[in-house]
Amino acid sequence: MSVTHLIVELLLMPLVAFVVGLGMVLMMRRIAARLQRRVGPPFLQPVYDIMKLYSKQTQISHGLVHEIGIIMAVGGYIAAMTLLPVPGMSGLADKGGVVTLAYVLMIPSLGLALGVGQCANPNGSIGISRALTAMLAYDIPFILVIFGVAWVYGTTNLAEMVAIQQQGGPQGWGFMQMPLLALAGLLTLPAMMGKHPYEIYVAPAEIATGPMVEMSGKFMGGLFVMQCFQLYTVGVLYTTLFLGGGENWFTFLVKIFAVVAIPMSIAYVFPRYRTEDVLRLMWKWPVLIALVGLAVVMK
Amino acid sequence: MSKDDLLQRKEQELQVELGRKRSNPLAHVFDDLVNFCRSRSMFMLHYCTGCGAIELPPAMTSRFDMERLGIQPMVTPRQADILLITGYVSIKTLKRIILTYEQMGSPKYVIGICSCTVNGGMYWQSYATAKVLRHYLPVDVYIAGCMPRPEAVIEGLQELMEDIKIGRANSWKKYFQNYDYYLGNQQQLFGEAWQTPTDIIAEARHYDLITDQTLGEYTALLEKHQQPLEALEMRLQGQKEKQPL
Repeated sequence: MSVTHLIVELLLMPLVAFVVGLGMVLMMRRIAARLQRRVGPPFLQPVYDIMKLYSKQTQISHGLVHEIGIIMAVGGYIAAMTLLPVPGMSGLADKGGVVTLAYVLMIPSLGLALGVGQCANPNGSIGISRALTAMLAYDIPFILVIFGVAWVYGTTNLAEMVAIQQQGGPQGWGFMQMPLLALAGLLTLPAMMGKHPYEIYVAPAEIATGPMVEMSGKFMGGLFVMQCFQLYTVGVLYTTLFLGGGENWFTFLVKIFAVVAIPMSIAYVFPRYRTEDVLRLMWKWPVLIALVGLAVVMK
Repeated sequence: MSKDDLLQRKEQELQVELGRKRSNPLAHVFDDLVNFCRSRSMFMLHYCTGCGAIELPPAMTSRFDMERLGIQPMVTPRQADILLITGYVSIKTLKRIILTYEQMGSPKYVIGICSCTVNGGMYWQSYATAKVLRHYLPVDVYIAGCMPRPEAVIEGLQELMEDIKIGRANSWKKYFQNYDYYLGNQQQLFGEAWQTPTDIIAEARHYDLITDQTLGEYTALLEKHQQPLEALEMRLQGQKEKQPL
């Protein structure tokens, strides 16, 4: 692969991820609206929101770390995008692998924690402590699932995993080979997306949107961009691990949108879990299922 | 009367520049795009006063669904664009409203819902109610009624959207341009020592919105009484150590 080719891929992958992520945010809001028997936002609403936030005239910064924190939050996801293989583009996926990705995916949360810390708003501190606890909750089953998948395929290379699955056709997909791990992964997804019912760290009515409490203008816009990447990452990661990646863009998009849509349509029906309940739930069922799944695949 | 004449007369009435032309045609295109996005994405602050608040849940939920117009509730003034004053404003509440308004990021819009914000409504004779809201804050849109139905609220919001789209909703600039007037009215209610944590004059200077109406006798009073802001001491109040059993 030539250098120019690689550079083009590294630029294109985050861009594509952003556009697809916008679509996912729209889908999420439409699903929520339909479940509440509303019409929902217009097609370009996520774009309007982000453009409006970036064009606010007052940009209230609480200091250097506040700004760096948001850059880390968005930048961490942009880095993660180059590690996720999509049809026709693999970027750094050959070199990085799933372990690097798991590390890189922690950067946004930590960046957010730094940025919110400088705002010195008690609501923000409560929110971010809850967010980091939630991260602790879903990372254990997530790492177990990744471990099991890497064991089965004999590699941590995401591009190779996709190639192995596609050789066997739908029968060879990770979902068929290790259903228990796939189920554990599916249960972990909503927590990774930070949406209902695991969004106690946002909780608008009690801690005033937690980490976002002091964010305005472009900082809030940065978080809106981050949300697009977050949904996209979750969708693509699950598709790559269990649904055979994408043969072409059409099947790829269908798969990743379905992966995000399924937990979301179930989740919006439930109220929020408290932080300790999130921890208890995550460490009980997905971990249990993942451990059984591990035992099955390792025999 | 031609359209230009009308525009000019409106400019004189409102004392703001409408449809300011720039030399770079692309800059205007971008401004129009930004104004359009601003009009289609309005975050309203979830802060309600008085009884008109009861009309907002139906306007937001499935029956009338404001989200299809891009309007959604936000919980902190930092994130919000619109401040809805839904009903009578007691003097105590007005302090909070002004604090909230000053912490919102510009461009920001104020909507007065219910008759009480227009002229005091049925609280006209009350000693504890601030009667005319626009004496204390610049108001973009009034929605009269006691109370206006959700349709009327949405109608008012659509009017605001239209104003934002053509760049006419500039009342937030008026607050900086005529700060002395608003501060004078606020001081009349709260006393001479009234001050807020937000430095409006510095902000007006930042946006280059200082006019001869910004500073005056009331801002001089403010400077006389102003205490420098200090960080609050962090401690838990009213918690005594429990005696061991």
